Amino acid sequence: MSSAHVKPLGGAAAGNVSFLAGRIPPAIEIMSKYMKDLDKELFRKILKVVVTAIEGTDCCDALGTIAESCDVPEEKLSSVVAGMHELLRVALRLPPSTLKQEGFREDLRELRISEEYISDFVSVVFGSRREALDIVASQQGPQLPHMDDFTWRVDVAISTSCLGRALQPSILTQIQLSDGTRSHFQVSVPKFQELRYNVALILKEMNDLEKRGVLKIQD
Amino acid sequence: MATIIKETESIKEAVIHINTIDTNKFSRLLSRILQKLHLRVERSFSQEEEEKLQNALSMEKPVLSLVLETISFILEQAVYHNIKPASLKEQLENVKIDPEKAEAFCQAWTTSGPDVIEKIRQRIFAPKKLEHVGWQMSLELGQSSQAKLKAPHAVLQLGISGDDAEGQENVFVEFSHQELLDFYNKLETIQAQLDSLT
Repeated sequence: MSSAHVKPLGGAAAGNVSFLAGRIPPAIEIMSKYMKDLDKELFRKILKVVVTAIEGTDCCDALGTIAESCDVPEEKLSSVVAGMHELLRVALRLPPSTLKQEGFREDLRELRISEEYISDFVSVVFGSRREALDIVASQQGPQLPHMDDFTWRVDVAISTSCLGRALQPSILTQIQLSDGTRSHFQVSVPKFQELRYNVALILKEMNDLEKRGVLKIQD
Repeated sequence: MATIIKETESIKEAVIHINTIDTNKFSRLLSRILQKLHLRVERSFSQEEEEKLQNALSMEKPVLSLVLETISFILEQAVYHNIKPASLKEQLENVKIDPEKAEAFCQAWTTSGPDVIEKIRQRIFAPKKLEHVGWQMSLELGQSSQAKLKAPHAVLQLGISGDDAEGQENVFVEFSHQELLDFYNKLETIQAQLDSLT
């Protein structure tokens, strides 16, 4: 469906669907048409599968089972699934401070979705699983590798070929990153102090930023 | 104190030549060698410098090499055993170095010795060591899957260099506030261990 075919439902109504910010995506428009044909059981099953997909798990099998067990034509089913996925994705993108529950319910009513289905959508977006869904979303953005594991060892060099009595401590470090690379290296005590100082400095800057600057950026 | 300089043939020969050097020049030679001792270089002097030395001390090339090597050896032994200046003087006199030269050794060792030992002590050899720590902090305001974020992020750049001049390898690690706090706590644990050593 190209976007040229998008017509807002009921003329001025599109402007009122605040969380979609203007145009209603075609997937959602089609979904709202077909939703009336679904019974509650089927709807709930599809919703569960869509939420699992958003969490990142592969659910081709689950969807296949549903497709076989129900007698809804495949095209309708895929439109409904696509619409629900798009709706939830857009709704979950906004933080709870922007998208309030009442507002969301209103918007869904504008989309001509029946009340019982609205309650189910609201329970996903504002329910207990929201936190887990947010964590998955934050990991999906582009990012540099994070530190998965940090192991260390403090060594004291007792004697070397150049010094009979050295007694010099040093630190052996191994870092495992989230992209799978592992690097190990040795850190001399002065360099370790430098690292520690810099990390403390960043933490202080973060704390300052969170107290001051962030408050100025209003939602 | 064990004998740190055994009287071998080459030592005997070197001593004879050392004793011919003028004492002033000798002191300067000593301090120059001491300066470069902590660097792991094959020769402390470049080609040109060696030629100049040959002329200044009026020595042939092989003789000069022997003298320089012997002096370096004596100093390296002194570092290894962390010897006191007085013992060093005694040991040198045992191998028949002139009292003036022995005194010059003693002086140079007293002034620069502890520094050289400290520099060598600080030298750690490992395949890779941390050379440089850089960082950048930013505030993430949004991404494709989440809008209206206000999450501070820090990126730590660890410059790790290998022993063979491969150049520096940079490892970039990103941290959220909580992750950085956890990392800092781990560093504090290491610090506590280091403190308990002293």
